[in-house]
Amino acid sequence: MKPVAAGLALILAAFAASTVTEQQLREAQSDSATWLTYGKNYLGWRYSELSEINTQTVSRLAPRWIHQTSVSGAHETTPLIFGGRMFLTGPSNNAYALDLLTGKEIWYYHKAPPAGLNLCCGEVNRGFAALGDKLFKVNIEATLVALDARSGTVLWERQMADHKKGYTATGAPLVVKNKIIAGMAGAEFGTRGFIDAYDASTGARVWRFNTIAAKGEPGGETWAGDSWQHGGGSTWVTGTYDPELNLIYWGTANPGPGMDGDVRAGDNLYTNSLVALDADTGKLKWYFQFTPHDTHDWDAVEDPVLIDMVVQGRKIKAVVQANRNGFFYALDRTNGQFLHASPYTKITWATGIDAKGRPIVVPGLDPSENGTKVCPGLGGGHHWYPTSYSPQTQLLYFNSTDGCQLFYRNKQDFHEGQWYQASTEAAIPSEPPTGTVLAMDPTNGRPRWHFEMVSPSDGGMLSTAGGLLFTGDGQGYFMALDAKTGKPLWHFQTGGEIRAPPVTYLLNGKQQIAIAAGTSIMTFALMP
Amino acid sequence: MRLGLTAACTGRYSLRLLLRYLVLIFASAACFAQTSQNPLAGDPGAIAGGGAAFRPYCTPCHGIRGEGGRGPDLTRGVYSAGEKDSDLFNVIANGVPGTDMAGFAGDFSEQDMWRVVAFVRSLARRDMSPLSGDRAAGEKLFWGKGGCSACHVVNGEGGALGPKLSRIGRERSLAFLRESVLTPNADVKPEYATITAVRRDGVKIVGIGSLDNFTVQITDAAGNYYSFERSDLASSTRELKSLMPDNYGRMLAAAEIDDLLAYLVSLRGAEATQ
Repeated sequence: MKPVAAGLALILAAFAASTVTEQQLREAQSDSATWLTYGKNYLGWRYSELSEINTQTVSRLAPRWIHQTSVSGAHETTPLIFGGRMFLTGPSNNAYALDLLTGKEIWYYHKAPPAGLNLCCGEVNRGFAALGDKLFKVNIEATLVALDARSGTVLWERQMADHKKGYTATGAPLVVKNKIIAGMAGAEFGTRGFIDAYDASTGARVWRFNTIAAKGEPGGETWAGDSWQHGGGSTWVTGTYDPELNLIYWGTANPGPGMDGDVRAGDNLYTNSLVALDADTGKLKWYFQFTPHDTHDWDAVEDPVLIDMVVQGRKIKAVVQANRNGFFYALDRTNGQFLHASPYTKITWATGIDAKGRPIVVPGLDPSENGTKVCPGLGGGHHWYPTSYSPQTQLLYFNSTDGCQLFYRNKQDFHEGQWYQASTEAAIPSEPPTGTVLAMDPTNGRPRWHFEMVSPSDGGMLSTAGGLLFTGDGQGYFMALDAKTGKPLWHFQTGGEIRAPPVTYLLNGKQQIAIAAGTSIMTFALMP
Repeated sequence: MRLGLTAACTGRYSLRLLLRYLVLIFASAACFAQTSQNPLAGDPGAIAGGGAAFRPYCTPCHGIRGEGGRGPDLTRGVYSAGEKDSDLFNVIANGVPGTDMAGFAGDFSEQDMWRVVAFVRSLARRDMSPLSGDRAAGEKLFWGKGGCSACHVVNGEGGALGPKLSRIGRERSLAFLRESVLTPNADVKPEYATITAVRRDGVKIVGIGSLDNFTVQITDAAGNYYSFERSDLASSTRELKSLMPDNYGRMLAAAEIDDLLAYLVSLRGAEATQ
């Protein structure tokens, strides 16, 4: 090759490595060097083919660098890795690009959140999406912003909804073709939930799917009177995508007000549901409601993981979810047909799930003035924390909070932009909850193993071809378990609560693992 | 929960950790009452609204009727925070540093907090009948026959294994204290749960401390401190059970228990002299 051509090839290679194409996103699973989208691949597996760090070598895993963000608040981000850089978001509208070798900051983005913001659960953010040389993230005041990945420069910012009405945004967007799919938060403020698609180049909104069926629309009959107007159903965790079916799968949150079901008689579609949307139009292909007429805040925003598997002798394109209501579900993702469900934690609110997938509810366990004890508690079961599916073990990994809470209710009038849950929950001091990491056989809903934890964990999961499962806990431990057995093989005290999922990638041919802990991001690699 | 009257006091954000205990963390500045008298005092609607707010947020510690528990008895109409409405407001808004009382300025609007003040006032029975026990006799029991000081600190003296009691009279209701003396396992805070480690050589170590997924730290009754990797031990467990003997009901006469309670209720810390 001539020097000029060779130089051009190098430049092109460097350019290619610094950008993300639609094809790369479709083939993300086969590129172990990078981490290009929230769930590692479109299917939401959070599984890496890398195996340098494995059950035999993990004892040599050690910190490589630590980047102190100096930003307080929970870091729940999934870092993206490409072009020799790490791109991550922090709470309160902060974001960073770091040098992959050293952790040194390349650029820093910050936008001050509006004063007086009413929001539910902290100014958290769960990460970037990437396409071309652009990065996309939501800001807490319910805007979607595009940044130049090279400099952090703002390219455009679009308001998704009015934060003064209680709308916020926290989830990582999802790139599908040339669209940026983004959800919102704020069901606790009587908002009307939606899933949006924006043009990646211009920021123009292409479509919107309203998660609350209005009067006169299909599903509108499931809301008493005008209660749909404050119906909630937010969409605050990133969904998944099946390119072959061209369907986006996205979970929806609780109805509003969360704990007073009397003012919204009916099933309250499409809250606490999984919706399958046409990626081009946002039209509803099918829905499945896990908890009709929810009164315990059991959002269905947990990862909808796409797995092709054999169920009772049939090969099925399935979507599975460890739902916050305490049941693990498997559905046919082509049509939403119910396949099976089984409890993975203590459940008192339902005796089971019927043949169509509807819970068989125990009467009398709605929130009450003096408190009603219900298991699981308000957080579930499994909450939003990222799950992982390993095709090597054919197990789905997630954590669970095992315990009960008291649910209270009182009457509350709606006032725009104000908290609208009609009460809340309380812990039972004599019954502190415990935590578990579960390995679930998704074909039948039977756990293969449990790793019992002293207290519930908020950490996400990562499984690898090295036969490992990585996760973190609330006491700051980052750990590796044997993915086949759950046996702990390695742990490291990070010094900060872990509320984020790990990611893995290559640096100079060596496997690295990164995770946010406390207010820091840290990376690990094998010591010689 | 907000009742929807006005914007929150000075609170900007609250982080509701929805999984585990009702722990509230606030990034807001302190919030103080702008008037010493409750503008909603005696308003039946405000009392009802305050009760609705009280139930989920306050009952875990103060009891469903304000009778107290881990938190002080609110029915006696005597408040460690002070007697003015604004004193109650400020404690509800900002909590009490160094105690389990969290601040709620991030969750309640200013009006909500005044409503809670109105409700708390409505609970007061003004039952100021003196305790039957003899405080001086109780003090003697505490430091002598009862053996309480072996594990509890009062005003800088005593053992460190159990909760500090220098201001326990401000922090716990009489009923809760009685329960704690007679049935110490009825309500045990996790930090005082019993942790047991058994070494591989069979030696058992029992005390209080911290147990996580991989390590355990124990302070035993003699004050010795231990820290282990759990994988190095034969076993390590935490039981929500107190190390405090549960035989005080048999060891002490009923009158002696009353004496001891009279002493405990009198322990109100430095603030009691203000």
